[in-house]
Amino acid sequence: MDVQAEVPNAVPPVGEHKGDKVPQPIEFPHDIHADKNGINCMYCHTYARRSKVAGIPPTSKCMGCHTVIATDKPRIKQLTEYWEKHEPPQWNKVHDVPDFVHFTHEKHLRRFIFDNEGMDVSRASEVCAFCHGDIKKMTVANKVKPLNMGFCVRCHEKNGGPSDCWKCHK
Amino acid sequence: MSLKNLLGDWSKYRKGHEEGGFHKYEHMWGLAIDLNKCIGCNACSVACYAENNLAVVGKDKMLSNQGMHWLRIERYWDEPQLGGDDRDFQERGASFLPMMCQQCNAATCEPVCPVAATYHTPDGLNAQVYNRCIGSRYCSNNCPYRLRYFNFYSYYESSWPAPLHMQLNPDLSVRDKGVMEKCTFCVQRIRTAKDTARAENRKVIDGEFNTACAQSCPTKAITFGDMLNPDSAVSKKWKAQQVELGKAEQHKANRDLRGYRVLEGLNTDPKVLYLERVREV
Ligand code: SF4
Repeated sequence: MDVQAEVPNAVPPVGEHKGDKVPQPIEFPHDIHADKNGINCMYCHTYARRSKVAGIPPTSKCMGCHTVIATDKPRIKQLTEYWEKHEPPQWNKVHDVPDFVHFTHEKHLRRFIFDNEGMDVSRASEVCAFCHGDIKKMTVANKVKPLNMGFCVRCHEKNGGPSDCWKCHK
Repeated sequence: MSLKNLLGDWSKYRKGHEEGGFHKYEHMWGLAIDLNKCIGCNACSVACYAENNLAVVGKDKMLSNQGMHWLRIERYWDEPQLGGDDRDFQERGASFLPMMCQQCNAATCEPVCPVAATYHTPDGLNAQVYNRCIGSRYCSNNCPYRLRYFNFYSYYESSWPAPLHMQLNPDLSVRDKGVMEKCTFCVQRIRTAKDTARAENRKVIDGEFNTACAQSCPTKAITFGDMLNPDSAVSKKWKAQQVELGKAEQHKANRDLRGYRVLEGLNTDPKVLYLERVREV
């Protein structure tokens, strides 16, 4: 079953990876937010569509909903504590590429979502899943794709991406 | 691309630029440096250190030729007849020559790389892929300008004493030991400018960005831009001096013109033009 293959004008990259569990200060349930409640990935990772990095949402974004929603849940109480102490939770990076790699989220989203005919922005998560795996079904995000050079290059070949070394190396 | 060249006919590559092969490039970044304006202040060199995360190696290593300066100021003393011997005013006879990678179109460093870590980009730049480099140093030996630098030691983020590590540029890596590195014409700035232009659906505008050296020069001695754009400041300077890319020897109609490229006769076709009257005594 490959949900990703349905993105129009795109051949998803192939490759699997078994990443270690990365502990987080609060186990953020991606499944409840993105799948059950259908929140678009770019609602929280708002920088993805306009910059290199996808960005971690500020605590204020969480509090936008969680001052009224599910305030009695233990994780939300933990989050409220952080908020009241004016301290962001120290999230740990799960998807990381080496320092010498130049990768921009913005260009990839433009190619696969915004400039992609027949693609609907509400289906962004299917494109994110190319490299991040089916995060919609995960709780704490886990690295399930290799994100190495072969993985990127194979996808660039299939989708007509550039093959100039200095496009990605820095 | 270097790999293609590696397997192909080298002499053809080395002569290719004379047949106008470079016209197929999408940009062709070049420099023009007015040596009459250069006061030898080294601001360009310092700016280069800051922009490109260059390691400050210290006096000892500098003396044993292990400096990592991608841009150096060469200082020459005039002939005695021109004032170089004036003991009271030693500074009178000094001339300065900022030397950075000349970004040759027929780069001598490229054919000799055994792993194709250095190659020509579609921007006409002489690129160096650091983590592909195996440190054979062939390129350095083949560079007539001595503008490639070898990393003898590891400099990590922690090599910059706090809070100096805060000024490291995140747009390029801190290179590890055992690799060759060199001036890139601030490729990270070129990349950003091109990305911005593309996002705004327009072409890169001349002068909207600059290399760090050109930006910091107090006398505006350095001009940077796209040589394929006939309206850019840099291509106008080249044109005014009647220096052309793709020609090993310039035959100038007007002997007063003062543009030259360093070691032109070697047929490396460098993209850095120097403006200085060649004085003969
Ligand atoms: S900053 Fe300008 S004036 Fe100073 S050394 Fe460099 S080129 Fe010369």
